[in-house]
Amino acid sequence: MTSGPDRPTRTRTRERGGTSGPGTVDPQSAPPRGDAPRRGKAAATAPLPLGPALAFLRDLRGGMDAGANPLAALAGATAGLPRDVRDGLDAAVRRLAGNYHEDEWGFDEEFTESVFPLLELMYDRWWRVEAQGVRNVPAHGRALLVANHAGILPWDATMMSVAMLREHPLPRYTRFLVLNWAFELPYVGSTIRKVGGVPASPYNAMRLLEQEQLVAVFPEGVKGTSKDFRDRYRLQRFGRGGFVELALRTRSPIIPVAVVGSEEIYPKIGELPWLAKLTGAPFVPVTPTFPLLGPLGAVPLPSKWRIEFCDPIDTSEYGPDAAEDRALVFELSERVRDTIQQTLYANLVKRGSAFV
Amino acid sequence: MPGRRILITGIASYLGTELARRLEADPTVEYIAGLDTRPPRIQLQKTEFIEADIRSPTLIKLLPQTEVDTVVHNQIVRQPGPRTSARSMHDINVIGSLQLLAACEKTPTIRAIVIRGSAGIYGAEPAAPQFFTEEMSRLYPLRTRFQRDVGEIENYFETYSRRHPQVTCTMLRYQSTIGPSVDTQVTRYLSLPVVPTYLGFDPRLQFIHEKDAIDAFVAGVKRPVRGAVNVAAEGTMGLTRMIRMAGKLSLPLISPVFGPAVTAARRVGLFSFSPDFRRLLRYGRGIDVSRLIEEVGFRPAYTMEEAVLDYVATQQGRRVAPTVRQAVASR
Repeated sequence: MTSGPDRPTRTRTRERGGTSGPGTVDPQSAPPRGDAPRRGKAAATAPLPLGPALAFLRDLRGGMDAGANPLAALAGATAGLPRDVRDGLDAAVRRLAGNYHEDEWGFDEEFTESVFPLLELMYDRWWRVEAQGVRNVPAHGRALLVANHAGILPWDATMMSVAMLREHPLPRYTRFLVLNWAFELPYVGSTIRKVGGVPASPYNAMRLLEQEQLVAVFPEGVKGTSKDFRDRYRLQRFGRGGFVELALRTRSPIIPVAVVGSEEIYPKIGELPWLAKLTGAPFVPVTPTFPLLGPLGAVPLPSKWRIEFCDPIDTSEYGPDAAEDRALVFELSERVRDTIQQTLYANLVKRGSAFV
Repeated sequence: MPGRRILITGIASYLGTELARRLEADPTVEYIAGLDTRPPRIQLQKTEFIEADIRSPTLIKLLPQTEVDTVVHNQIVRQPGPRTSARSMHDINVIGSLQLLAACEKTPTIRAIVIRGSAGIYGAEPAAPQFFTEEMSRLYPLRTRFQRDVGEIENYFETYSRRHPQVTCTMLRYQSTIGPSVDTQVTRYLSLPVVPTYLGFDPRLQFIHEKDAIDAFVAGVKRPVRGAVNVAAEGTMGLTRMIRMAGKLSLPLISPVFGPAVTAARRVGLFSFSPDFRRLLRYGRGIDVSRLIEEVGFRPAYTMEEAVLDYVATQQGRRVAPTVRQAVASR
């Protein structure tokens, strides 16, 4: 059971200037958006240390001969290796022995940390994200982020959580609701779960909020992801206002979020309904790179992004019974939708050209 | 005040016998009867063993004679085994429950019925609520034969409790049991030399430790509450992590191959995966246990992680890796 706010340990290690493993970039040596060359520590220790490597193999063999199982032998043999390699191997051995933690939702903080450098690279270099108003997100307790939705893969949710981890004075993890269909796919569902995604069900959102988590929802749902390129940044209907009911019931503040940039990463120009029917997918898009380039079509285009977190809307004044009040639910839902739409327009103007 | 008189069906099963043993130690219990077709494995002190088949109509004559006030229904078969075919499993579950209810109708002394049901009724769905609460049993269609059986059993008991408001009907919805001394589908699966999994799927699983399974049962009998109650350890665990903790090798199979592979495994007598268990291995299931904690007043002593650790600790001798190692060394 999670208790209290879910604070990432990563930022703490970063403040101390530690690294999380071999091959990962030390954030201190490469400041965000700086032009210093990004080199892994392991790459810097050339020429190859042959001596320690041989010693490692000898110890490994010795350990196996002594009757230890392969994992234990591996763990015992790493002593002579360079520190980064040793840490990496130790972490791998520990994980292979099942000695790691997942919370009751399947969120794996260690895994999330290990992919974080990749996400940071996307954030800094690929999309050059500028985030505003992160301070509008409370540092403690439940809160509901409501954003526009685009892109086939949940990049918008991922970049919002990177923004929360990077720019917020008290970084915290974001849990996001993901289209149900993703959980029927091998690897996709299990990976999304590890980094903090949960199937889009109001029951899940309710429980997460009751556990004082920060939850991101996309009320446009599949209507948002499946909209044509020419309809970009035109918000679709916000479902039936379920997110407002959720916020009222749990007395969570709603923070509207406008994500500019995500709607250009997979410009949808058509659909393949027969393939959707065959695979059971809600829709199969045709983009300039998909299905033309096959799996490479999953690489998002490098648009320029702006994420703005708007002023929070306090729902605690209404009381939990207000969730039954249809008129109020629609009014609040419309207010949130309008805020996001206006903020989208304002940021589109500020951003200027979409790709450079 | 006279003590409670309790009848337990399926007394020969591990849980039935243990429950009887625990109730025997309770001074407020005056009489215990155990019903089954075979005697319990250990000698029970006070329990009267009634050898009868739950499916036979003789139950209608037998039950009123015992003058029990509580019936504990513990004879719900979870998977077909060597002793029970899929057909007779359905018969025991559905016809057996019906016969038992018919007998209860003829027994005016009854005040409570406690059923050891199954969380299988929620199914295993890719995008389900991650923690089913008791009122969510009708969210998805019942897909497997066992689910439909459980659904029918729940319907019968619901109807019965509506017609007999003086009787408290408790439906305990159990997740699978794990532990050093039980033999369940889960423990058999984890003790396979190589554990087949669905490639790319890491389901969240949730079980209950065998000691908690008994304690929850005792708590449910001592303090029956109306309606369904979920019974499971707190928390969930991914299958990948569980297999690693057990020191096993997994054999990931793509989903079109999994079905034929497990059918072949059953043919050669290795292991039989019930359709429910296969769905569980793909999509997993978590249930919410706040009603058990708050209303029944029982909090499982083992969390999911502790339950698995306790099971693994007793299985260390059976790790596969050193065995391979020894086989190579002996050559």
